[in-house]
Amino acid sequence: MSSSLKDKLQSMFNNVQVSVLEETRMAVSVPPGSAFAVLRYLRDSGFDHLALVSCVDWQEEGEIEVVYILTSYMENNTEYAPEQKLHLFLKTKVQRDKPELKSVIDIFQNAEPYEREIHELFGVHFEGHPRLIPLFLEREYKIPPFRKDFDTRKYVKDTFDSIPLVED
Amino acid sequence: MLRGYGKPGKATKKTKIMDRNQITKWLKSPDKMARKYSLHVVYFCTGCGIIEIPPTITARWDAERFGIIPVATPRQANLFLITGYVSVKTLRAIIRTYEQMPEPKYVIGFGSCPINGGMYWDSYNTIKHLDKYIPVDGWIAGCMPRPEAIIVSVTHLWTLIDKEMANGYLRYKKNYTAYRRNQEMVLGTLEWPPVYQESGNGDQESG
Amino acid sequence: MPQITEIAKTGSQRELEMYFGPQHLGMVGNFSITLKVEGDRILKATANPGYLHRGFEKLMEYRTWIQNFPIVCRINLVEPDHMEMIYAMGVEKLAGIEVPERADYVRSIYLELARVGSHLFGLWAYANMLGFDTVAQWAMYHRDLVLDLFEELTGGRVYHIYIWPGGVRRDFPKGFKDKIVKTLHSIGGCVPDYDDTFFNNRLFYDRAHGIGKLSQEQAKSLGAVGQVLRATGMKYDIRRVEPYAAYDKVPWDVPTREDGDAYSRIWVVRDEMIESVHMIFKLLDAMPEGSVYNRIPNPFKWKIPPGEAYVRCESSRGELGLYMVSNGEDKPYRVHFRTPSYSHGLTILEKVLESESVADVGNIMISLYVVAPEIDR
Repeated sequence: MSSSLKDKLQSMFNNVQVSVLEETRMAVSVPPGSAFAVLRYLRDSGFDHLALVSCVDWQEEGEIEVVYILTSYMENNTEYAPEQKLHLFLKTKVQRDKPELKSVIDIFQNAEPYEREIHELFGVHFEGHPRLIPLFLEREYKIPPFRKDFDTRKYVKDTFDSIPLVED
Repeated sequence: MLRGYGKPGKATKKTKIMDRNQITKWLKSPDKMARKYSLHVVYFCTGCGIIEIPPTITARWDAERFGIIPVATPRQANLFLITGYVSVKTLRAIIRTYEQMPEPKYVIGFGSCPINGGMYWDSYNTIKHLDKYIPVDGWIAGCMPRPEAIIVSVTHLWTLIDKEMANGYLRYKKNYTAYRRNQEMVLGTLEWPPVYQESGNGDQESG
Repeated sequence: MPQITEIAKTGSQRELEMYFGPQHLGMVGNFSITLKVEGDRILKATANPGYLHRGFEKLMEYRTWIQNFPIVCRINLVEPDHMEMIYAMGVEKLAGIEVPERADYVRSIYLELARVGSHLFGLWAYANMLGFDTVAQWAMYHRDLVLDLFEELTGGRVYHIYIWPGGVRRDFPKGFKDKIVKTLHSIGGCVPDYDDTFFNNRLFYDRAHGIGKLSQEQAKSLGAVGQVLRATGMKYDIRRVEPYAAYDKVPWDVPTREDGDAYSRIWVVRDEMIESVHMIFKLLDAMPEGSVYNRIPNPFKWKIPPGEAYVRCESSRGELGLYMVSNGEDKPYRVHFRTPSYSHGLTILEKVLESESVADVGNIMISLYVVAPEIDR
């Protein structure tokens, strides 16, 4: 099943690289412009469970990689066919100085808090997202905290250790 | 010769009599004794340590024998247990809750994290030393402390109340400018005005 | 206490914005919801997480693979054992470590005991919310009996740090199997009392039936997993779908219900608890002899080959997943936990609370089985 899916993807979209990591895990790399269309095609072919939207910061190559992990729920309520155990990692790489991507809320409704979190922790801007306001953090940081060049120990030393004790 | 004690090493009938000191204590300062034996805890789950509070207040390690029960609002409470680590967003809620409690009020820091950062010493979002921001009367070490440790620490607090050493709220009023400056340094602007006067002689809160 | 911040009079309606804040008798965990209310009916709910954010995934990049074990179990404090399990599974997959057979059985028994303890904690919270204080005290007492077992096995009541990549830290002590059987019999013998007092009680039915209803289509499109999905009729359980440890070696059943409201969700929790107890007895009988760990070479200077992996397991709240990337160093490059409370507490809660009454907010929140530190990490 995975080989037929691989052929279909490569025939329908350009610049798609598919690699099979193991029997139930497949990685698909697409350019950022076609991530939305590939995701919609995959949702229509049966992958209806968006498990995770994750983000990896490759500092040396100057790119931020957004990963969508897709799998499927059961088709009938009692049996799970072996083809349905496949997991797809859909990966796109965007430029680190100006990371922008189209939001996928129209396809998967539960992507909304994931994209908000990636926006505040990595700095990626999602177009079409209704509320891109901070989810967890309360303060402003010059560099988004989860990037590799944010040194958290130095930040702690500068901000928290410099506050004096209250003498009695 | 002290009444109520027999010869050392030998249990006599006199050791079974009630400790006469208790009666004198009750007669001398009934408000202190009454307050000590009925500490009401604010029901605010601030962090990790909330996992050991339900065993303490339910049937097995019954803390109500010691007079401790949780109450719904800070206006009815006089003990604040800061259970576990404190993040920056929670510190705002903690300061506001602390200032709403009526006096006299006591704070116990629970776990290793409020003492000096604990396991999250290098996290960008947690407070490392809690007593820079609100006055703390006692600490319980551990991760997580057992329910027996919580109850033992409350008995230590009773001793401190007896000796008039649990005066965190008086220190807060006296050094309010220093505390408020620290709070503003870590939280930015605060939405409430200063609750005590600038001089050390502040009255009850005006807000 | 809810603070009333603005009162707007628009036409014939009156809208209030209320904070169902972190210091509230109905809130379990440090989490807050902003409600826009008209009278008693909720118009819009917004979840405010972030009170417990520690930046775990960033902290884990500064510690070596082994040094991360004590810190990873503090993500979900009600049930830390599945966090250790998922991290160990991820590390074993990337490094290619095999686990001996007895260790699989020991891990399964350990995880099922943790599931029973976590469900009893959830029952305490839910019964307190609905007003059944007696049942709450019983549940907390029985959970303490389970924690006594953990204390004898691992040394700690709450945080155990028992699972190690390649097996578990040590074997069962002498006489432990009889202690497990005795404790579970004493808990199981009280199930008729629980049923009479709480589960078959007409008041529970009146207070929870029809509240927080979710259809299967809505649940699938909003990313529901765990009890929330099983209460709508789908038998989606990772222990059955992608078996790990010893779950495919004993026969067991996945309990489901049809309605999808708070009443069904708590009944699914009760059925799962009883199923876990039966599973522990079967696993104890079928456990083989052998060693319980495979040694890893020099754990303090241990490097894992580069790669990425996504592993998942079934915690007591739903599907728990971990996406891990390694680039050949002795520290992880990127670790991302997919916790079940994330979509339940942020997307589904806001959807389900629309046009419900203010009095039911705590009821719905606890029946969705949300643990606040799992959302913020």
